[in-house]
Amino acid sequence: MKVIGPLLAMVLAALAGSTVTEQQLRDAQMDPATWLTYGKNYLGWRYSELTEINTRTVSRLVPRWIFQTGFVGTNETTPLVFGGMMFVTGPSNSAAALDLLTGKQIWGYHKAGPSGLDLCCGQPNRGFAALGDKLFKANIEGTLVSLDARSGGVLWEREVADYKQGFTMTGAPLVVKNKVLVGIAGAEFGTRGFIDAYDAATGERVWRFYTVPAKGEPGGETWEGESWERGGGSTWITGTYDPDLNLVYWGTGNPGPGMDGDGRSGDNLYTCSLVAVDADTGKLRWHYQFTPHDTHDWDAVADPVLIDIVVKRQKIKAVVQANRNGFFYALDRTNGKLLTAAPYTKIDWTTGIGTDSRPVIVSGKEPSEQGTRACPGLGGGHNWSATSYSLDTRLFYFGSTDGCELFYRHKQEFHQGQWFQASTNSSFPDEPSTGAVVAVDPATGKTMWRYEMLERSSAGMLATGGGLVFTGDSQGYLIALDSRTGKPLWHFQTGGKMNAPPITYNLNGKQQVAVAAGASVMTFVLAN
Amino acid sequence: MGTWWYTACRGGRDVTLSDLDIARARPYPRYLYCRFAILALALAHTQAHDNPFVGDPKAADGGGAVFRQYCVPCHGIYGKGGRGPDLTRGIYTAGDKNSDLFRVISNGVPGTEMAGFASDIREEDIWRVVSYIRSIARRDAAGITGDRANGEMVFWVKGGCGACHAVGTRGGRLGPDLTRTGEQRSRAYLRESVLEPSKDISPGYATITIIKRDGAKLIGVERGFDDFSAQLMDASGNYYSFLKSDVRSANREMHSLMPDNYGSVFNSAEIDDLLAYLMSLRMAEATR
Repeated sequence: MKVIGPLLAMVLAALAGSTVTEQQLRDAQMDPATWLTYGKNYLGWRYSELTEINTRTVSRLVPRWIFQTGFVGTNETTPLVFGGMMFVTGPSNSAAALDLLTGKQIWGYHKAGPSGLDLCCGQPNRGFAALGDKLFKANIEGTLVSLDARSGGVLWEREVADYKQGFTMTGAPLVVKNKVLVGIAGAEFGTRGFIDAYDAATGERVWRFYTVPAKGEPGGETWEGESWERGGGSTWITGTYDPDLNLVYWGTGNPGPGMDGDGRSGDNLYTCSLVAVDADTGKLRWHYQFTPHDTHDWDAVADPVLIDIVVKRQKIKAVVQANRNGFFYALDRTNGKLLTAAPYTKIDWTTGIGTDSRPVIVSGKEPSEQGTRACPGLGGGHNWSATSYSLDTRLFYFGSTDGCELFYRHKQEFHQGQWFQASTNSSFPDEPSTGAVVAVDPATGKTMWRYEMLERSSAGMLATGGGLVFTGDSQGYLIALDSRTGKPLWHFQTGGKMNAPPITYNLNGKQQVAVAAGASVMTFVLAN
Repeated sequence: MGTWWYTACRGGRDVTLSDLDIARARPYPRYLYCRFAILALALAHTQAHDNPFVGDPKAADGGGAVFRQYCVPCHGIYGKGGRGPDLTRGIYTAGDKNSDLFRVISNGVPGTEMAGFASDIREEDIWRVVSYIRSIARRDAAGITGDRANGEMVFWVKGGCGACHAVGTRGGRLGPDLTRTGEQRSRAYLRESVLEPSKDISPGYATITIIKRDGAKLIGVERGFDDFSAQLMDASGNYYSFLKSDVRSANREMHSLMPDNYGSVFNSAEIDDLLAYLMSLRMAEATR
């Protein structure tokens, strides 16, 4: 994709009104004045060609406005930007539309969740999707709601799954054509995961793809007895879309119960996998399972990022992922064939990936009653936070947790709607895990640089044409790194823990950086 | 002492599971034996808010799963304590009724590291955790050996522990405040902390070493440490803050500044006495 000219940019900016068309979503990378979908473009790059804020000027970056959401909790939103407004979701079923110029709230949305919610991980939300003048948002109790982007008024709301069974929803939806695709959380409660597609206009369900096949279906033989019924395979992070192949790529979570694999012998397809499904029908085209029969909670939900890489002088349409099991993977996205698998952190559960594309398992790493040490720890590796691919450097950026943990297994009886992980993990106090930003060459899997941090961070990545990678650390610093070297060039203490990825866009010809931190959303510009 | 009612209601001693069994056998709840109407009112609320799973053995299993999800980092995989109190002793310092345990799990204990989980765990599962905690309480609650009064002397005189540790309004501020340590830490953990202070460092009490650009070295207890700055307090109680970019090096080491030779300074009887003193440090001590 070429860097766009200033004239074209102005034309596109003028065209970008208060509605979002299907074509605009396809061309999202071309418009630097908007941020229209979770991953910036359908391919999940989180890359902007904007160069005003760059390695030389970033030292002049200062806050422009700060919006206090009023909702305490983990703020994981990727803001959407179009039509002069920024659309942010917050924890506990909250959301707001903000004036891009001043940060003032134009409208707010809040729906009290039901009492009696059983949650694995709080009530975060990772953002809106948009089509036309409609916004789409997951609510924590397992509903999908459509809001009028101009007023925040509720257009429709549909139950996707029953929270009483343990289902919840936290991910940003993905709009493909006239459909709204959503994933689900709840593998820790003995649920059966799926990806759903809803009609954007009416909210009617169009298709459902179960990430765990039923008995008798292809893949059903990888589950013991009736264990598939509570097989997990959550889909709690937004997938990506290749318009040319008309395929949607979505990562799946752990099998259930997470730590006790005894009652579910077999590979447990399609958990801890990447699935490619037809965008129109939801039919499975191919799958690749990163961690067969997982017992360490190594979800494979991280962003599946679609890039073209050159392997042996041949250009290949690839999908890459920093997996929680400690490997960076590149697959051929037309057929799911493994291209590259390379560790980016300490790994002791496998000696490597065999010629059959399966990991060669080290015995004795299964969770146990007294605790079994394994690396990486339960959270990975790279967990869920947003990743980024830079057209400028051709590098792939993601956060990593580096360390080991103890994994426990205790027998547990299944009761619907109750926590069903069959035990837990614990860390080593004298061996704390650390965090890092990792830059990987996606063609080779080679780590090109690492920026070490004291602790793991869930703030995602943003790469820019200005030679920068923006991210945050667990202590509230928004940080700009040199995308070629990893050298920190600028930082700002936001005053709140950062669990959200920064975004960037042009406003009136001036580049802005926006990010959620703590209970606020803030923007930055270059000081004059 | 300002908490006489507290002691009176508890019979003036620590409550064990066998006490609770006795309490259950009484025709009226324990608090009706107390003197204050306000407590009776509180109890009336409690009575309406008791564990719906009493007598249901499956509840403890379910609660164990939830316990392992949320409570293990501080209370240990089997609830035997660590940084958090040992829950197997059957001694619950924030109240010994089921409703007290429910309240503590829901709301946390202000001023301690015990967080509230009301927004993370639904009500019925908090009750299941209460059932689990009851199920792991040992009936032979570990007795405290050692002479508390002598332990107090060991702490303040021979050990000079008060130079760095506060109990109530007395003592230093460099090390962790021990005012309520008897209810916050397990006995085994306190023993380990006395003999091997670096084995598990309370969050925020690591050692910070700064080497300034002129080569001057500064060592103190962590008051803050992040990717770009470091804050510390030296042995004299002076506070310092540095940007890492302004100094030659700023390092945090996960070891304690506390001397690690108390195993040879104290004899074993003195250590038992000291532990008896430390285990006696509870809320009541703070208001003396």
